[in-house]
Amino acid sequence: MTPGGPTPIPEPAFEGAIADGQGTTLPAGLTHEDLIRSRDRFRVHNARQSRRRWYLLWLLVGPGILAMLGENDGPSMISYATSGATYGLGFFLPFIVVTFGMAIVCQEMCMRVGAVTHRGYGQLVLERFGKLWGWFAAGDLVVTNLVTLIAEFVAIRVGLAYFHLGAGVAAVLGVVLVLFTLSGGRYWRWERIVLGLATFNGLFLVAAIMVRPDWGSVGHAVVAFSPLPGGSFNTLLLLIASTIGATVTPWMIFFQQSASADKGMTPDDLRHGRYDTVAGGVLAAVFGCGALIAGAALATHGGANIQGLAGAGFPAALAAVSGKAVGTVFALGLIEAGAVAVLTISASTGYAAGECVGAPHSLNSSARGAALFYGANIGAATIAAAIILIPGAPLLSIALNANVLATVLLPVALVFMIMLANDRELMGRWVNGATLNRVAIGIVAFISVCGAAYAVDSFLQATHVL
Amino acid sequence: MTDREREELVMYLERDQLVSDTGRPVSPAQLSRRVKVGLWALRVFALVVSAMVIYTFIAQL
Repeated sequence: MTPGGPTPIPEPAFEGAIADGQGTTLPAGLTHEDLIRSRDRFRVHNARQSRRRWYLLWLLVGPGILAMLGENDGPSMISYATSGATYGLGFFLPFIVVTFGMAIVCQEMCMRVGAVTHRGYGQLVLERFGKLWGWFAAGDLVVTNLVTLIAEFVAIRVGLAYFHLGAGVAAVLGVVLVLFTLSGGRYWRWERIVLGLATFNGLFLVAAIMVRPDWGSVGHAVVAFSPLPGGSFNTLLLLIASTIGATVTPWMIFFQQSASADKGMTPDDLRHGRYDTVAGGVLAAVFGCGALIAGAALATHGGANIQGLAGAGFPAALAAVSGKAVGTVFALGLIEAGAVAVLTISASTGYAAGECVGAPHSLNSSARGAALFYGANIGAATIAAAIILIPGAPLLSIALNANVLATVLLPVALVFMIMLANDRELMGRWVNGATLNRVAIGIVAFISVCGAAYAVDSFLQATHVL
Repeated sequence: MTDREREELVMYLERDQLVSDTGRPVSPAQLSRRVKVGLWALRVFALVVSAMVIYTFIAQL
């Protein structure tokens, strides 16, 4: 509390009422989920009243940072490191910063729509634009989430392989983490555990510092977008599409809007929601650049052939070139990146399933009260975990293509998001401004062109037309 | 627990934040023909491009 400031309001008897809420004593129209969310809102209200600014910020951050650091996932970090290993420092370093700038614009809209409407993306698309579009959106999400989840388990597996642990350990670790974080039946608990895990995304920055890059070259690359990458045009397109898919994806849109609504954010919290989103974007850009800088240490050691290093892959290659400690830090980073993404992507699958079917979909609900939400959450993680146990899976290819698939399906999700954020009937005075709309439409066009360019070029090569 | 105490427990939520309210569907949007055509074009584009990516991935295995 600020010395001499207003005194916090005493907390009503939430605990007793929430315990009662497990039974049948709640008045008609009220649910257990309402009580838990009300308690979280009480804390926000109290912090705001007593002008405890940092505590208020602490209470309101979460969905933005989780969406952004969740997207700094295993495939993304492998994609950034591959860009670094293939091209060294240069174009891709500032390109990561630009793509996170795009992500901030898109995710701010998600947060705002969630806080104003208190509804998730899937639910709004379904109700506002009809079942066909709602199910299309959910279908896109299920496909990209499943492929991405497989890639997350691949990343955990790659990280664990460095410590001589097998795919079975990766599969069990991921599923146990999902079960553990869901076990509390509280959004707040889930969010804080995942935020705690996500701080270890900073390991990629540690790895970057440990490879002792030439900071002058890093600074020059960021400012000058150079040197420009050479070599195969198709590989360049793959890495551009993959880098975009590593920063803005359909699951992030579903996740941040649903999580903002589940957290109980309101229009009064929009400013803090923006801080949360920008902080997430900045952290993710810095850590993503860290992965690229670490990967760039391999550029002069046959980095382009990194796929040939099956099994432990990047961590082992880094250990050989820059020392065992760097390999260890990078391997731990991959385990963290995969694990956090497994949690957030599974959650987005659960939200989408519940929203599209119209079933309860909140981390504040009990497993019994929201069986479909919890079932989809755990089921998605379990299916992906089972798939990585199949021997001989092409690890790096799955990881890179998961991001590309997300990129090509993203424009549809973004167009609906822009339409929702401009829907005056839903959003009232919180609709997008004209400048934001121009920027958002430009982002959709840019992503569509990049995704299509890679898809067409690779398709023509695969069919031997080129 | 009295009605007043129960009311106090949910007074920190906005009225439209209650589960009973968020479960109520919002009204469908009236989309113009042009918007519908645009959405379908975007959908077909996404499906075609996705098919190309999936084909390429399988061909490279």
